[in-house]
Amino acid sequence: MTLETVTRAELFFLDLPFWIATAIFVCAYVLIVSEKVHKTVVALFAAGLMLVLKVLEQNEAFHVEEFGVDWNVIILLISMMIIINLMRPTGVFEYIAIKSAKLGKGDPLRIMVIFAVVTAVLSALLDNVTTVLLITPVTLLIADALDVDPVPYLLSCAFASNIGGTATLIGDPPNIMIASKAQLNFMDFIYHLAPVVVVMMVVYIFVIKLIWKKKLVTQDELKQRIMNMNEKEAIKNPLMLKKSLIVLGIVLTGFIFHGMLHFQPATVALFGAGLLLLLSRTHEPHHVLAEIEWPTIFFFMGLFIIVGGVVKVGLIKWLSIQILELTQGNMFATSMIVMWFSAFASAIVDNIPYVATMNPLIIDMAKQLWPNLSGIQLLQHPDLMPLWWSLALGACLGGNGSAIGASANVIVVGISEKAGRRISFFKFMAYGMPIMILTVAISSVYVWLRYYVLGI
Amino acid sequence: MKAKDLMIPLVKYLKPGDTLKEAANLLSAARRREEKGGVKALPVLDKHAKLVGIVSIGDVLKSVYPGYMYLMDLGAFSWDGMVETFARKASGKHVKDIMTTDVITVKEDSTLMECIDHMLKNKAKRVPVLNTENAVVGMLYESDVFYEITRAMFNKDKGRTQ
Repeated sequence: MTLETVTRAELFFLDLPFWIATAIFVCAYVLIVSEKVHKTVVALFAAGLMLVLKVLEQNEAFHVEEFGVDWNVIILLISMMIIINLMRPTGVFEYIAIKSAKLGKGDPLRIMVIFAVVTAVLSALLDNVTTVLLITPVTLLIADALDVDPVPYLLSCAFASNIGGTATLIGDPPNIMIASKAQLNFMDFIYHLAPVVVVMMVVYIFVIKLIWKKKLVTQDELKQRIMNMNEKEAIKNPLMLKKSLIVLGIVLTGFIFHGMLHFQPATVALFGAGLLLLLSRTHEPHHVLAEIEWPTIFFFMGLFIIVGGVVKVGLIKWLSIQILELTQGNMFATSMIVMWFSAFASAIVDNIPYVATMNPLIIDMAKQLWPNLSGIQLLQHPDLMPLWWSLALGACLGGNGSAIGASANVIVVGISEKAGRRISFFKFMAYGMPIMILTVAISSVYVWLRYYVLGI
Repeated sequence: MKAKDLMIPLVKYLKPGDTLKEAANLLSAARRREEKGGVKALPVLDKHAKLVGIVSIGDVLKSVYPGYMYLMDLGAFSWDGMVETFARKASGKHVKDIMTTDVITVKEDSTLMECIDHMLKNKAKRVPVLNTENAVVGMLYESDVFYEITRAMFNKDKGRTQ
């Protein structure tokens, strides 16, 4: 196999489109990492170049699943954003946050632990950025009420959202992308990732208690401020809240059964978004749609086309051959390399472009290993599955490694700075990197134990 | 009627290095014409008497309002004494940290309608008035424009009855 693939690989070098596509890809990624130009602008321009320079035909970019925009990801993201935009004004998120603080009886450390759990659960159900946008303002209010340093709470919020988001298909964009490419369903993620996320959260809570125990103290009369808050005042629109919860219930039930019912996750989410828009009796849906994070959506679209270009010319295939040669086809070693490399890569670059590149790479590796298989037999080959989970775990948890590792971190650092509490790049890393290494280590043991020792 | 006829000539102004405490004190003590105490905004001039910003009473309100409260509906969960705590913290801030630097101005020879045009389009209720050398010569306040409009209405009524 080795000899033949190398000669095949060498053929790519003769190809002009190969070099054009590779150059566009590398330049785009360097520009994205440098942050000199907005990442969405880079992605759209580079995607345009891929089309103009005929690396990809427009039809391939828009309509061919292998080379172009993954509409399953796009529509799922847009639909979930619509549902959340409609839910926000009901006050349900303020209610949850205030209720959680009161559950902690005004004790700073207990509140921190409860907020970490609530953030993790919300992150598993919503996307991480939305979750931290909903949790951090209340966190800052609570810290002011208790007259304690808000920074530990803010850091914890970012960490918990990245850990919690790992648990489900919809929790973090890497998982949405992996699910779509590997045709995995919602319950696959719950079954394979949620257990290890629960273990990580238990360890994480133990760690934050250890670090912050002595530093978070307050006076009893300040605790009373929290206890005097009435969470019921948060609910602005009880009727809309009921409707939202019903639709969210339908969507979550739909996610649980989408595999069985042969629906794609985007179908479920789109139906939910449409239904809630109808029930909300919005005469002018303009503002709900305007609040969709269009820059993120277009970033995804551009990336899919850029990556489609380098897939088509064979760069990704060539890379997959290199990795397989390195690991000699040992799947456990490959899993570990994928997981740890993903973690560090995601700490440095946005995990969305990273996973967009890794997905086809893993599929190409599978094609090298099992050339006679195709479709779901290839994508979900029992030996390949641990690789997908390793990629998901590495890419999602790697986000904790640095202040720019995940969009949620960027939001948290930004909000903290506005509140007059700057979290420096190194301060974030001083806490985030150990937590990343700890959680990825737990994941490594989990993957090894579950898939290579127990084989379940 | 031109801007210079309605403006309050420049007497009091703020400096970028003034503390918020000093600024608030000046805002509440500055006298405008005969009757009223306090003004709603004062220009900020640097040591070369150049206009660098404006501080209004709204800026003082903002200085005690935590930024995170813009992000969610949290007003119902504030506590008694919260503003006072933040006011004490904010008192040491400097004018340069809270001033609005993008200042809407009018020229001393601008007509009253041009002043209203600037005020409404830019939502500026108090505008510094500049002379031909771009030096601040006074402040034009929304309320003075309002009084002038009122006067014009009365004059018109008078004209009819006569």
